[in-house]
Amino acid sequence: MVFITADEILETVHMIRSENLDVRAVTMGISLDDCAERDPRRTAERVRAKIVRRAGRLVAVADELQEKYGVPIVNKRVAVTPIAEVAGNDDPEAYITIARAMDAAADDVGIDFIGGFSALVQKGFTRSDAALIESIPEAIGGTRRVCSSVNVASTRAGINMDAVVRMADVVLATAKQTAADGSIGCAKIVVFCNAPEDNPFMAGAMHGSGEPEVSINVAISGPGVVRNVVAAHPEASLIELADLIKRTTFKITRVGELVAREASEMLDAQMGIIDLSLAPTPAVGDSIAEILQSMGLEHPGAPGTTAALAMLNDAVKKGGTMATSSTGGLSGAFIPVSEDAAMARAAAEGALSIEKLEAMTAVCSLGLDMIVVPGDTPRNALAGVMADVMAIGMINGKTTGARLIPAYGKKAGDWVSLGGLFGEGPVMALSTSRNDAFVARGGRIPAPLQGLTN
Amino acid sequence: MRSTVIVTALGLDRHGLLARVATTIAEQNANVDDVSQTVSNGMFTMIMFVSFDQSETTMAELKEALARTGEEIGLQINVQHENIFRFMHRI
Repeated sequence: MVFITADEILETVHMIRSENLDVRAVTMGISLDDCAERDPRRTAERVRAKIVRRAGRLVAVADELQEKYGVPIVNKRVAVTPIAEVAGNDDPEAYITIARAMDAAADDVGIDFIGGFSALVQKGFTRSDAALIESIPEAIGGTRRVCSSVNVASTRAGINMDAVVRMADVVLATAKQTAADGSIGCAKIVVFCNAPEDNPFMAGAMHGSGEPEVSINVAISGPGVVRNVVAAHPEASLIELADLIKRTTFKITRVGELVAREASEMLDAQMGIIDLSLAPTPAVGDSIAEILQSMGLEHPGAPGTTAALAMLNDAVKKGGTMATSSTGGLSGAFIPVSEDAAMARAAAEGALSIEKLEAMTAVCSLGLDMIVVPGDTPRNALAGVMADVMAIGMINGKTTGARLIPAYGKKAGDWVSLGGLFGEGPVMALSTSRNDAFVARGGRIPAPLQGLTN
Repeated sequence: MRSTVIVTALGLDRHGLLARVATTIAEQNANVDDVSQTVSNGMFTMIMFVSFDQSETTMAELKEALARTGEEIGLQINVQHENIFRFMHRI
């Protein structure tokens, strides 16, 4: 029998009761490989039936584990095989039908989001990919729970600039389609470089082709716990601080490991991965920006922010990898703006710019995330920003994503509320320097030398 | 099947707190296997290892009964399966 000390027990209770320790998401990955039919309506029926059959008990199991261990499991979600690979159809209408079926299935099983309305086009488009991409504005604008991601770049393939441009068009069209709701549809679209196949976080979750029939992937949380440990040691040197963060994330990750093991067994699914990302929410005390402030920066964006974030991200991974042998997903600190109240505040006060966020992207995960930009942003400017984020991922052999929200009718400095976990934030200014001739060249940025590792 | 949970109780100290919590546990046909309790600066902190047979009570029933008692005597009472503590601090 393992001996547990009173201090350890009370520390666990304190982390849960007072520091917002939770499991951020239990995401079930479901293969839809066996759902393809010639008639898209029949495909849609099979997609819905399979999701309901496999994920029908997901919420009940997560709730049971929450009761058993006293740890909140905040989100229960489903990710499916990239739909462009399932449908094999070149009619955008077919994809809209399938998106509606996914939305209905998510409603049936009681989850808030379902991911996998996706295509991988880093090297080029199949006819299915092109049709899916064309359908995104209506598919996302016309559903509540469906999330879309498109992988437009990789370290092995380079950046498909034609895909980047198409996605800029898609994001602008979705902003218009969902204008009445603050262009919320764009919060459900991610453009990726090196998209992971086992990511449990929305909006980028998908169930890749190397995944098993059904898997359980778990996203840990705990920015509040890390913030408190950093704040409690104002005199600690950076090397001492790194050790403290490692110890803390070890504990956080162990909770994720426990939940993943039990949930996968109870749901007859293969245990997938534990995503070590620190993910903020708009709640006070659940913020990455507040960790950076506790480290000694007045605001995120102050000189030294990239260095502080690099250290934080690395320490989180080191603590996490000791705690589980199943790391995966994105596994890096998230730096969204609207979803992190202190980050949004820093942006509103002018302490944090898009350019600084781009630098921060180079040392953590997910890139330019949940950033509201002016509604009249030109297509090429949006494509240029996306390409910049993709380049960071491509050269550094890591995942980067862009989730930009050109809020329809809004201009720089306005404040946009996206609601719920999407949070709120200022409309951030983009550079107005023109890039049209560069974007018009089209084609593909070749794979870098970093991709030639064999 | 027998389960072990860890009950933690925190709050302002007053007479008879341990007795009230232990009585509630006994009424649920559960057993206190181990207990430690301290009072520091007027704050009462108690940790109990409690086991029970699942045919006699459930974790949900135990939780509910202790939540009621906690409300009556001003304690925050948590009931969690022991595995979370074992997992969090050890490999």
